[in-house]
Amino acid sequence: MGDRTGEHLALVDVNNFYVSCERLFDPRLENRPVVVLSNNDGCVVARSPEAKALGLRTGMPWFQIAPQAEAWGLVARSSNYELYGDLSARVMELLGRWGTWQQVYSIDESFIGLTGTPRQALETGRQLRRAVARHLGLPVCVGIASTKTLAKFANHVAKNNPHDARIDGVFSVEQAPAGFVDRLMQRLPSTEVWGVGRKSGDKLERLGIRTMAELRDAEPGWIRSRFSVVLERTVLELGGVACIPDADEHAGPAQVIFSRSFSRPVVSSADMADVMNAYGQRAAARLAAQGQRARTVMVTAGTSRFSGPDGSVSKSVALPRATADPIAITRAAVGAMRSVMREGVPYTRAGVMLAGLGPAETGQEMLAGFEEVEGADVVPDRHLEDVLGRVRGRFGGTAIGLGRGGLAEQGSWTMRREFASPQYTTRFSELPVVRA
Amino acid sequence: MTAQPPEPSGANPATDAGQSARAHGFPSPARDYLDGGIDLNRELVRDRTSTFLMRVTGQALAASGIHEGDEIVVDRAGTPRHGSVVVVVLEGELLVRRLALQTRDGVRHAALETDDGAAPREVGDLQVWGVATYCLHRL
Repeated sequence: MGDRTGEHLALVDVNNFYVSCERLFDPRLENRPVVVLSNNDGCVVARSPEAKALGLRTGMPWFQIAPQAEAWGLVARSSNYELYGDLSARVMELLGRWGTWQQVYSIDESFIGLTGTPRQALETGRQLRRAVARHLGLPVCVGIASTKTLAKFANHVAKNNPHDARIDGVFSVEQAPAGFVDRLMQRLPSTEVWGVGRKSGDKLERLGIRTMAELRDAEPGWIRSRFSVVLERTVLELGGVACIPDADEHAGPAQVIFSRSFSRPVVSSADMADVMNAYGQRAAARLAAQGQRARTVMVTAGTSRFSGPDGSVSKSVALPRATADPIAITRAAVGAMRSVMREGVPYTRAGVMLAGLGPAETGQEMLAGFEEVEGADVVPDRHLEDVLGRVRGRFGGTAIGLGRGGLAEQGSWTMRREFASPQYTTRFSELPVVRA
Repeated sequence: MTAQPPEPSGANPATDAGQSARAHGFPSPARDYLDGGIDLNRELVRDRTSTFLMRVTGQALAASGIHEGDEIVVDRAGTPRHGSVVVVVLEGELLVRRLALQTRDGVRHAALETDDGAAPREVGDLQVWGVATYCLHRL
């Protein structure tokens, strides 16, 4: 933390990220209600503003909505983590160029550090919003403040005032008109504060603390004794004292992140592979502990601010199937990092993020040694295929197979992607088509 | 040290901008480690965050060397100029066209042209998706 005293923090996130990704290559989806469905097309995981206006909520089962879809002009898309992951990595890399440091917080959110006067920081926020729109066609909101908790709040303000031309997607607590932030905090409930859940909110209310402003003005030591050191930090952060360290991830349920700053820079790809190996395993263990499986692995690495122009790298790879297998996850992380990092650049931090999460109970892991080759969902090992073929020839087509692949009945885990868009940016055979 | 990277100029592409975070600044210490192979990503991609590949259908720009089945490299951050080959969004569709910019009576007019003899199409609300920088044509 020490080196960023007096600096500004921006929280940048992409509006309706999955839907915005779908719209990038399919302009017909503009201005109409769009939802993105979870793995297996089960329920809604992302909504366009038009879909929100229809009253559709995250988590709604698709089968309940489907009968009305046509009447509403509603378009559903299966989640396309190949696309979202690739665009996410591009967003993170681009944002990293502006920041004096960067902490990727989720597939569509990143904290970055900004220097200069509050006015300059606000201007930088506006520039990077324009840059993401120009480079990637994705709309972002930017919240700028002196602490992470306040930057989250500022982002919330930017996001919830989409038609306010003075804000225009970028809100700075430090540059707001006098009294504006205070009035807002007096109106918003404490549960709108980053890290304050329903349970803490109820308990706070019983203790007479209902609004964000009341939480900000609470006595930190008292909050610590009644709640936890975590909520005490929140109170301090609301008051402008930065105290949430990088490693303290408030990761939401939508992803698992393991990221750290190094005690000394990592320069060689061999050392970085070791880092990815360790972080990948830690992330996979967290994933397994949550009873979940991931479809996307994203890696990030960055230099310290004084280390020159090779600021940040990000890369995302989609796993062939949802998995919590540490071998598959680690292999993907190491491979992704190798493809983007530059040998010789002193990286000071790195992270592994797992996204596209779904519950683990629906299927069966591929057995070690039977998993598919990286990036390929064809080409099984030839020798193995020979053996499998001979067994099938002798005992019948469903006598043997990979994992559940050989069962007479199709496993329920075969992923449904009925409304899948192409893998526009990661597969040469599925490029977007443009008419001449 | 400035925190802001420059907006890409679109002209005079720095050959390694696709890999390095900024088109300016110090020479990369990584340069000493590069091996000798030609990396087409490095040569054809000015900035990997803004560059996309698209596949062409239709022959309306055949005389410009863009044929059915070709792949074009599209830089979203490129600056569209008079004569640029651009990808535009028109009526919910992605189209590749040549851009004609004219100023008449102090007002800038944009028109989309093809090579097939069709009249240029003036568009009021021009939505440029990106600027095509290369065309990959299989021989």
